Amino acid sequence: MSAALRRLGRLRPTGGAVVAVVIFLALYAIYAASEASAASVFGLTNLFNNTVVLAIASAGLTLVVLAGEFDLSPIGVIAIANVVMATTSVGTLGWFGALILVLLIGAAVGLLNGWLVASLRLQSLAVTIGTMIACEGVALLLLPAPGGAVNQAIVDALTGDVLEVVPVALAVIALVLLVWLVLARTRFGIAIYAVGTDAMAARLSGLSAERTKLLAFVLAGVAYAFAGFMLSCQTGSGDPRASDTLLLYMYASVAIGGTSLMGGRGGVFGTLFGAGILSVMQKMLFALGAASFYTSIFSGLIMLVAIFIGNASELLARVRRQRVA
Amino acid sequence: MAPRDTSTLAEPMARGRAPRVNPELLPAAVVLACAVLLIVASTLLNAGSSFVPQLDAVLVTSIFLVVASFGQGLTILLGGIDLSIGVVVGLAAIMVSTLTNGSNAAILWVVPATLGFAAFIGLVNGLGVALARVPPFIMTLASGISFYGVGLAFTTGLAQRPVAPGLVALMNARVAGVPIPVVILLGFVIVATIFQNGTSDGRKLYALGSSPGAARVLGLPIAALTILVYTLSGLCAGISGILLAGYSSAATIDIGDPLLLPTIAAVVIGGARVVGGRGIYLGTFAGALFLSALETIITVLNLSQGVRNIIEGAIIVFALLLQSERWRVARG
Amino acid sequence: MSSTPPVLEVRGISKHYGATVALRDVSFVLNAGEVCGLLGENGAGKSTLVKTLSGVEVPDSGALFLAGSEYRPRDRNDARRQGVATAFQELSLVSTLSVAVNLFLPDPAVNRAGLVAMRRLEQQAARILAAHGVSEIDSAALVGELTLGQRQRLEIVRAMFRRPRLLLLDEPTAALSDRDWLFDLVGNRLAEGAAILYISHKLDEIRRLCRRSVILRNGQKVLDRPVAEMSDDEIFRSMAGRSVVERFVAAPSAVRTDAQPALSASRLSGDGVEDISFTLMAGEILGVAGLEGQGQARLFRSLVGLYPLRSGRIEVAGCGRMVRSPRAARAAGVVLVPEERKTEGIFKDLTTIANVSLPAIDHASKLHFLNRRRERALVGEVIGDVDLPEHFLPLSIAALSGGNQQKAVLGRALMARARCLLLFDPTRGVDVGAKQSIYRMMRAFVGGGGAILFYSTELDELVHLCDRCLVLYGNRIVGELQGPALSQEQVLSLAAGHGLERAAVSGR
Repeated sequence: MSAALRRLGRLRPTGGAVVAVVIFLALYAIYAASEASAASVFGLTNLFNNTVVLAIASAGLTLVVLAGEFDLSPIGVIAIANVVMATTSVGTLGWFGALILVLLIGAAVGLLNGWLVASLRLQSLAVTIGTMIACEGVALLLLPAPGGAVNQAIVDALTGDVLEVVPVALAVIALVLLVWLVLARTRFGIAIYAVGTDAMAARLSGLSAERTKLLAFVLAGVAYAFAGFMLSCQTGSGDPRASDTLLLYMYASVAIGGTSLMGGRGGVFGTLFGAGILSVMQKMLFALGAASFYTSIFSGLIMLVAIFIGNASELLARVRRQRVA
Repeated sequence: MAPRDTSTLAEPMARGRAPRVNPELLPAAVVLACAVLLIVASTLLNAGSSFVPQLDAVLVTSIFLVVASFGQGLTILLGGIDLSIGVVVGLAAIMVSTLTNGSNAAILWVVPATLGFAAFIGLVNGLGVALARVPPFIMTLASGISFYGVGLAFTTGLAQRPVAPGLVALMNARVAGVPIPVVILLGFVIVATIFQNGTSDGRKLYALGSSPGAARVLGLPIAALTILVYTLSGLCAGISGILLAGYSSAATIDIGDPLLLPTIAAVVIGGARVVGGRGIYLGTFAGALFLSALETIITVLNLSQGVRNIIEGAIIVFALLLQSERWRVARG
Repeated sequence: MSSTPPVLEVRGISKHYGATVALRDVSFVLNAGEVCGLLGENGAGKSTLVKTLSGVEVPDSGALFLAGSEYRPRDRNDARRQGVATAFQELSLVSTLSVAVNLFLPDPAVNRAGLVAMRRLEQQAARILAAHGVSEIDSAALVGELTLGQRQRLEIVRAMFRRPRLLLLDEPTAALSDRDWLFDLVGNRLAEGAAILYISHKLDEIRRLCRRSVILRNGQKVLDRPVAEMSDDEIFRSMAGRSVVERFVAAPSAVRTDAQPALSASRLSGDGVEDISFTLMAGEILGVAGLEGQGQARLFRSLVGLYPLRSGRIEVAGCGRMVRSPRAARAAGVVLVPEERKTEGIFKDLTTIANVSLPAIDHASKLHFLNRRRERALVGEVIGDVDLPEHFLPLSIAALSGGNQQKAVLGRALMARARCLLLFDPTRGVDVGAKQSIYRMMRAFVGGGGAILFYSTELDELVHLCDRCLVLYGNRIVGELQGPALSQEQVLSLAAGHGLERAAVSGR
């Protein structure tokens, strides 16, 4: 094997992630071919504005999934973040104060989830349903009906573009990717893979599954909160129910991006493309003049296609490795 | 003379008697008792109401969750999950209301057709999981999203149509003073329990969920059992959707969405293990009843939706906490 | 007697899991520059002792001392910081991470930014591997890509390279082909003054490496003596708690040569199975011998369709078609009792009776409705044959000892009306009494006209129970022994590959 390939291997793009990139590019090509404005800064800004919330939230979810757990609470955290932004960002806190507050709330919910799952060993799939419902309750208490307003300065700043060249949303996604690439090379990043792959081996190797999962949930909580912040910038107001439909699409993004829902394999890189696929497909179908319900039908099908191709390429890679060995 | 097996002395419960009752009945009974307590409490809190009507009300509102969670419980028993339940409930509800369009005559063919379609979605899930080996989480998520699109295509541009009055009447009528939905519910619980714990098929499902590897070596019909379970789950969601349409006398395609996560919660609160092999339907039933009773008491207390959600979420977490303690004790 | 305290002193350690006693009042010492063997059957408490010393498990009572001061490791890292390193039997490597990262887990070196410098790590790992004589492993490869043998080497290097003062090696040669490599490394560590606890069930290794050996049985220390003073027979007796010879009841052969073969395989070939042919007669116990990993596992699995073959024919008496699935095999009367009892043998959440009755569950029910009385009656017919006490039936099978679990699995095979049993190491991890029951059941089964293909890691079982014995080496049959030629020495010599040249000569 050449050194370059090996270097690539360190970034851990699973077969699935590569598939996600290819599908994304293919869909974007079709979209660009049928819609003239697709490649313009305006078109791109629009596309990435549609992607960014799902992308960030799914990136956070990926951490938890890699560590071998499930998290159903993100929509609750996003709802809280949204209503907090809508009620505090205009007032004395200012947008920055509100952002910090929101991120702290996300971390706190993540800490609670992590404590319940990692320390008390409750089944994550069930217990995060509880925290999700409770979080939505908090959001409803803070803002019983849609309303409020988000600081106009950030609404304008974060939905536009930088110097009419790069959409801000794309820059934000790139930032998330950068954070991931750094994170993946820390001891914690390595521990996440170890714990998600084989909890017993990780433990015998001296890693603490408890601490790793706890931190994964906390960081995921922060990511959900940040996704809620971005959502607020786009809607400009608060709606405690705005995030309800997001959850299943988050899992779709993670799965399309090639992350194994059993944990230990995959990464945020693929997830970001998975989220991109879901929104570029919507754009593409719209540009082709297809009725909106096709978006749903194709979202499901693309998940299956991505899984199939991902599995097939993993299988091929394994066969090739065996040949070599 | 062969030496006697000395290790048996160290084995637990060699003290003599085996537990007479299924050990899984205990968590189910505890959760059921909690549900009854909640109903009693809501009766006391609600001046002028008495226990039986309150119980009836809770049972009637719980029926959708009770029925749909049976399917969820079966998939979880096999170590899988069904995330398409919410969509199937919604599709069944919309199909029944659209096709009957207020006419009782159509019920005769619409209800079987609807159930058939719901079972078909389950069948697709089962085929994907059993034959194409797609992980259940992904397969049911994908089919849910896709069939939701199909439902949208089906209803786009259609005005909302009324459900056949016969179905509406069924959900509101009484036999000998007992609401018909309660009769249906009890019948369903009995049939489901017998299926899961009293038939050879149920036994095979427990075996498969407990040790897929051993099931393979023994040659159990793994694919057939898996397909059966997902098809049943689709069917149950279909029944739930038809009942829901009758109950709310009108249907939207999103009507089943709020049911999905509670089905998982009901199964797990009832004592099942998410990775499969353990759990009885009585527990799931108790869990579903508990969630409905909780909803009722929160309504009686006249709390805001926010406070309701916080209490509900906290209680779900608390119920899971209690259970894990019990497990730890049981494991010794 | 020197005045320096021993590297390790174990004083009265006990450990329980629920009602099972894993260790009971175990004490011994280990001095610097000494390799001490730790022997015992499966389930004797060896692994529990290793985990206790490694900081994975906390003992219920007793105390540990490391170089004279009390040693109470909080976790693995704490144990490692105090100079205790372990190569685990189940291999504690993470398959999705690279060799280099695995080598330095849990705290690979980071640069000033807190990032793990992969390239530096890989270079460092390559140097360490080379220094330990392992140059064929690429330090950038994922552990999942390595062979089992390579993983075992990595596990051993990982335990050794930090220069621990106490080194625990738990079955380090299970997947190792080149044992001298390990013996050299052990010698080096000893020269540096480390103390080594060497866990193995291979007597020759113990004799070669250890001056002294501790033997555990049922969680208790039964012997702590210089190895040279003990005969093989004495060691086996201490481990098993019985004399080796008296266990087997001699019985006349039940082979029926007049009938057609119960199972015949001709020219089976596939990945890991090379050109294997044999016939198994009714009433015969046909043994299969072979060292670890000589194709026996795949052969057994392929016979019931669990492992795909490229070519060859399997014929089962009274069944015209080729068996392609365990389901078809069961219908033809062929039942496998697999190696992995915990994951492939028992259904861990079911009761014992449900475990046994499963193959006949349709007979025990009418219109799919279970008839528990009938189920009980059906199960009652077979549990006597495997000596499974009736009062275990309503208990969860997970609560039973390994021996009784295995009896239930065998009872289930009888329940399936098997005519031909494929037993893969059925007495592994099974207590003495249960072994006796299993031997009796096997005799009775062939006496009734059944046929058994029997693989065992214990040579004396093969020698005493089998009518004939096939010996596997390198995925092929290299010999067939029968009558007086069927002795432990012959089997061992063929299994070690010594018969290969002769076989090749006579074959061509």
